[in-house]
Amino acid sequence: MTGRATSTRRIVTLAGDAILVAEFAAACQERGYTVECIAAAGGRGSRPRIPGLPKGARRVSRPSVRSSLAIELTNIDKDAKRRNLVLLDRTLRPGTLLLSSSVTVTVSEQSSWIKHPGRLAGIAALPGFLGGSFIECALSGLSGEGARQGAAAFAQSLGKEAAFVGDSVGMVLPRVVCCLANEAHFALMERIAAPEEIDTAMKLGTKYPFGPFEWARKIGYGQVYAVMHALHHSFGEDRYRPAPALRRAAEMEPLGDAKSV
Amino acid sequence: MIATVGVIGSGTMGGGIAQVAARAGLDVLLHDNVPAAVSAAVERMRADLRAGAGKGTISATEATQALARIHPCKSFKDLGAADIVIEAALEDLAVKRDIFQALDAIVAPSAILATNTSSLSITAIASLTKTPETVVGMHFFNPPTLMPLVEIVRGSRTSDATTLAVRDLALRLNKTPVVCKDTPGFIVNRVARPFYGEALRLLGEGVSTVEQIDAILTRTGGFRMGPFALMDLIGIDVNYAVSQSVYEQFFQEPRFRPHPIQRRMVEAGLLGRKTGKGFYTYK
Repeated sequence: MTGRATSTRRIVTLAGDAILVAEFAAACQERGYTVECIAAAGGRGSRPRIPGLPKGARRVSRPSVRSSLAIELTNIDKDAKRRNLVLLDRTLRPGTLLLSSSVTVTVSEQSSWIKHPGRLAGIAALPGFLGGSFIECALSGLSGEGARQGAAAFAQSLGKEAAFVGDSVGMVLPRVVCCLANEAHFALMERIAAPEEIDTAMKLGTKYPFGPFEWARKIGYGQVYAVMHALHHSFGEDRYRPAPALRRAAEMEPLGDAKSV
Repeated sequence: MIATVGVIGSGTMGGGIAQVAARAGLDVLLHDNVPAAVSAAVERMRADLRAGAGKGTISATEATQALARIHPCKSFKDLGAADIVIEAALEDLAVKRDIFQALDAIVAPSAILATNTSSLSITAIASLTKTPETVVGMHFFNPPTLMPLVEIVRGSRTSDATTLAVRDLALRLNKTPVVCKDTPGFIVNRVARPFYGEALRLLGEGVSTVEQIDAILTRTGGFRMGPFALMDLIGIDVNYAVSQSVYEQFFQEPRFRPHPIQRRMVEAGLLGRKTGKGFYTYK
């Protein structure tokens, strides 16, 4: 018997910051998803390299209508995030789940960008945060029950538990960790100690898993700066003002990992 | 070369520092305002060293030798024979300045005067002594027998020679020293503030719950304890006092502003494990 081969594997479409796309692609592929990554929405034929993208993950120019879900993973460039979400919302079937990183823009604000906000749920996506037991999720007032159930099912499909938190910039873990890194950069600017000494002190004095500089490098200075900038903008409080040293570190970071795709 | 260490205060910190120094082969002169407290500290050390010998982490001979190196002081003046005095008394600037002024009168000019403060200014403590260049911070972490870190805090007038000598001493005590400037909270108590402050804000804003924040930070963030469980362990009053101290010393910098939830819990006497109830309830 001949015929077109069909696949029952779930297709997940990814878009956003390259480092996060690569990380989610690897995690999804390991759990049996077929992974498609879309090029930057509105881009003209350029396909930025995605360092660390696993073999078998496909690069596509438009989202497949057969996608079971799409995940938008832009934290740094809000305009790119909006273009990606609009494209995904316009192209995917209306009932298809749309997850979006919501550490720099609330789910509520993102909901106002798209025509089908009922399918949108937020997740806390920062590089290196997929290794734990939870995926932090958030909903807007317009998110439907399907979005809640879909987010929980996605987390479960990766072997994790969904932890639903309030819709607030930074969510929980990213907010705490980025504020620690920000404070370490203020301390550095005051020349209290060298970065290595500060990292050592925080690991040995408090038993933190990583020193704040080590953690900022793992996450990416651009990502940490984006979270602090968003917190500062969202709350309008000086306590979230990004340290100039953090901003400089973000500006000097190689673009490869941070660029949106 | 430092051979004799004076320790003032024989509570958890002073007793622990004395034990660490004795185990490293240094003679220790241990003083406390309350003589019975010194005896109690020596008994705690004896029990701890015996337990170590029982577990095989130290030989029985080493344990006996370490205890023999602890010399309870009959009077404050006995500390005059020390090459370095590490003060681990109450965390109160007036108390510490009195102690340092008194030490100034009895120790050799070359002796180093160290304070185990976690948040007070070394520069302020040193200011009343005749030799501020010999005054330095040695911030051990609780319990000193187990925690590997020592913050070596340079006051405005601490000399390089003093800093190097104390750093060398910390290494001889098998500790990891980090040298830092005399600024509020030094490194750890300053950089760690957002761990508690943001957790309290997330709770106050209704973004998440005590249990969920702790679970996310431990099981996804990899922190050994969540901020609320840790505040309960430290003592909510102690944590609040450190927050307030850092906030005031930074002239009300908003990043360090304490949270009303914490103050209300202190007012209510809900101080954590030591009162049986804090963010969690303990039986």
